[in-house]
Amino acid sequence: MGTRRYILSKVLQALLTLAFVMVFNFFLFRVIPGDPAALLLRGTAAYNQQNVEQVTHDLGLDRPLPQQFLVYVEDTLTLHFGDSYFLQGQDARQVISERIWPTLLLVATSTIASAILGLIIGIYSGWRRGSRFDVGAQGFTLFVYSMPEFWFGILVLMAFAGGVGPFPSLFPAGGYATPGADLTGLAHAADVLNHLALPWFVLVVAYMGEYSLIMRNSLIDVMNDDFVMTARAKGVREKQILWRHIVPNAFLPTFTLVLLSLGFIFGGAITVEYVFSYPGLGLLTVQAIDSKDFPLLQGLFLLFSAAVIIANLIADILYSRLDPRVRAG
Amino acid sequence: MRRGTRFQLAVALMLAGAFASAAMAQVALAQETTGATGSTADDNQKVVFTWAETSEPDTLNPMAAYSAISFYFWTASYHMPVDFDVDFGAQQPSPEFDGFDSGLVTDIAYTDDAMHFTYTIRDDLVWSDGEPLTAQDVAYTFNLYKNNHAYLPQNYLTLLDGDARVVDGNKVEFDTTEPTSLYKGAAPYMYFYILPQHVFEPIEHGNCPDDSDPCNPKGYGNVPSVSSGPFFIAEYKVGEFVRLERNEFWKGPEPAIDEIVYRIYKNDDAIATALQTGEIDFAHITTPNIFNTLKTAENIDTMVGSIPSFSEIGMNTGSAYQDKEGAFVPHGDGHPALTDVVVRRAIRMAIDSQALNEQVMLGYGVPGDSIIPPVSVAGARWEPTGADKLGPDIEGAKQLLEDAGYVDSDGDGVREMPADSVDPGRPLDFRYFVRTSEQTSIDAAPFVSEWLQEIGIKTEVTALNSAKLTDVINAGEYELFSWGWYPDPDPSAQLALFKCDQRPPDGKTYGNNDAYYCNPEYDQLYEDQLGATDQDARWEIVHQAQKIFYEDSPYAVMWYDPIFSAWRSDRFTGYIPQPQPNGDPLEGWGGISEVWLSLHPVAGSGAGAAEAKGISPAVWAILAGVLILIVAIVLIRRRRTVDEDA
Repeated sequence: MGTRRYILSKVLQALLTLAFVMVFNFFLFRVIPGDPAALLLRGTAAYNQQNVEQVTHDLGLDRPLPQQFLVYVEDTLTLHFGDSYFLQGQDARQVISERIWPTLLLVATSTIASAILGLIIGIYSGWRRGSRFDVGAQGFTLFVYSMPEFWFGILVLMAFAGGVGPFPSLFPAGGYATPGADLTGLAHAADVLNHLALPWFVLVVAYMGEYSLIMRNSLIDVMNDDFVMTARAKGVREKQILWRHIVPNAFLPTFTLVLLSLGFIFGGAITVEYVFSYPGLGLLTVQAIDSKDFPLLQGLFLLFSAAVIIANLIADILYSRLDPRVRAG
Repeated sequence: MRRGTRFQLAVALMLAGAFASAAMAQVALAQETTGATGSTADDNQKVVFTWAETSEPDTLNPMAAYSAISFYFWTASYHMPVDFDVDFGAQQPSPEFDGFDSGLVTDIAYTDDAMHFTYTIRDDLVWSDGEPLTAQDVAYTFNLYKNNHAYLPQNYLTLLDGDARVVDGNKVEFDTTEPTSLYKGAAPYMYFYILPQHVFEPIEHGNCPDDSDPCNPKGYGNVPSVSSGPFFIAEYKVGEFVRLERNEFWKGPEPAIDEIVYRIYKNDDAIATALQTGEIDFAHITTPNIFNTLKTAENIDTMVGSIPSFSEIGMNTGSAYQDKEGAFVPHGDGHPALTDVVVRRAIRMAIDSQALNEQVMLGYGVPGDSIIPPVSVAGARWEPTGADKLGPDIEGAKQLLEDAGYVDSDGDGVREMPADSVDPGRPLDFRYFVRTSEQTSIDAAPFVSEWLQEIGIKTEVTALNSAKLTDVINAGEYELFSWGWYPDPDPSAQLALFKCDQRPPDGKTYGNNDAYYCNPEYDQLYEDQLGATDQDARWEIVHQAQKIFYEDSPYAVMWYDPIFSAWRSDRFTGYIPQPQPNGDPLEGWGGISEVWLSLHPVAGSGAGAAEAKGISPAVWAILAGVLILIVAIVLIRRRRTVDEDA
């Protein structure tokens, strides 16, 4: 199959998947039990029958389902998801877009950092298999991989935001920036950085284990291949064998994982966002599910799906460049 | 230089550059906040009061909001017609603030038939954009709420006959469809806020000051707000904070704080940490255990207060067995035993509210009985005493069931329905639903189940999320459930929930009356209290309604909820608990709350300015230096190795 044709077929597949997701999203959230209007009002002083009916009307949920679907399709095609139910009067698109930057800042950068660190640890660990470094790294990566992010986050929060014993509190306990501090330029950037530090650290530590373990195992597999022995027999230096021959071949599975992880960065990091009250898309999703906020849910899941589909598309295309056998068939 | 070394050098330089940038940014941050963080209250720096909870406002527009948290922003910015005082009575001018009166209405006149009311409106208030607040604003707001079905306010305007009108320039008059004491002003019944006509009238015509789309009175975001109180809502960042600034046209007592910042945290651990490190000055906590840790913390004061909120065990009093009436058609599959008031009373008697409060609420709540909580408008609550009290009495409950023919004939520990009942011999085996989102409801279940087991009633406990439980209740497919209510200080709205016509009607549609309680005598009492023209007579009727409800026991109220408050004792002082002496220190109910005028920094405390926190530039610089050092060592070692190889 020619490269152009291969790419075209993958793009078409991605578009079809996206269209399916768009339709599926509408019905998916309406299957969740509970009436959104009653759910919004329950536990408040406004919870009564008249208000439930009025809210149902104001949200347009008293219209027939086919009509709601048509409105949804029309709105979604113009990327206008309607007003949030829970955050009344707030445009869902606006609410989502305000959370994209903090989410990318936290999840994208921590994913990349954890991937780099994990790869480096995995490479050295695999290359020096059985060494003290390997044993230590294995223990560490297995521990951080299996460790609940929530638990680690709480510990980090208590240690570095609360301070322990004589060690003072270093970072803020939560949020994206200090409200009311009137900071601009570099000072604002520093303030954002300070708020980012702890959740970022938790995510980097929590994610690096996965990359490290996969890279190490993949590297060990490749190290036993015949071409490595051939290279040694030809007298190629060990470092060259590692970096020029083993790592590029062992990188493919990790590369897939990194790209797929990047596809999920818009989904945020729910538990870490929760612990550090970080205003990311993950927390917004939880809020939207809790209140059956259809406009927010539809917007969020379309964004998540699109990100994963695009990441897959990029992975497919790049894979075909890295490994021509994929394109062939 | 080899390619690999060049790459490593580039990475090292990038990292060092990043750290250097971070250090520079921190220097900039330190410079910009030096004045703020180092200031004292005497330095004429901006004084900011920062407080926190886990709640997110649904909207800051009184037309559409229903979440309790939104009221804290309105108590600093909008007037009510008749304001609550700290004990939920009608506000009187306060001697502490030079006779400051937070209400809007200076005089109330009504006809003998109590169907025509005239409110005189004060003329000394100015909106935060400089426009005067007049009777026009008051009449307009009444009609705006009533004619646009404002979710919370319209509840208080259902008796109005036609629109409110302005007469004599400074008076608002309106008629009611029936005689009533609700609008006489003896108690602050109309729990809503007066809005600026000059802002909301254009919005009604689609002209919003912001980019609200669709632009209508409910959809309008109301930020920044035009307010009549000492502060206006200046900024709202969803999921992050709400910020209020001073209203420069405010003519009342001058507040000692310049800004109020409400920060939204997602969990109590973070709130407790922020409070201990001084990031925030005040917090409401929801978790008793975390609250306990703050009780012994340095420079932190705590208070457990009461609020008008309760948790109950609801019983299906007969969704499947009651007669068809109006929109209501029998539905569901609830156990027929619960149609018998004897069984419900026995359950009420078996549940030990005192023990639940001690075990589940760690003693911080108040044992429950009536559906009108202790924190209500003065005089509204009825409380069972002496012979009226139903338990806790396991033996009494057993005897009650035994006498009514509910006996355990097969010796399996579970009683069966009497021979002359609709379903003879059916065991008293009940489904009992708790809420996954409410830990205390889950924690109470083992105690309740054990007590019911002791009196011969078997229960199967299932935890559901709120959405699913709402469906189960609407379908009438349950025997027992656990949930709660947050009533108004005035009892009328709470009593209305349990009228016959409030039952979920058809198995799918929502209804307030989740216990399917239907007693025509209760309904009549509700109507009578609405129409009572004398306040004392009204309370008498309200008491009767509560007593009947308690004796019929569709609910077993477990406890009245506490409110946990904690604040930095070294930062601000001047909190005003509502109700006195142990309530919400931020005086969360009413129009203009005096707490926003009385809060002031502790002398020499350095309280106030929003403090941007982080590690010092020196630490960032050290980190950059260490990184460069490590890279340099690695490069030197590598070069040596290469030289040796060569």
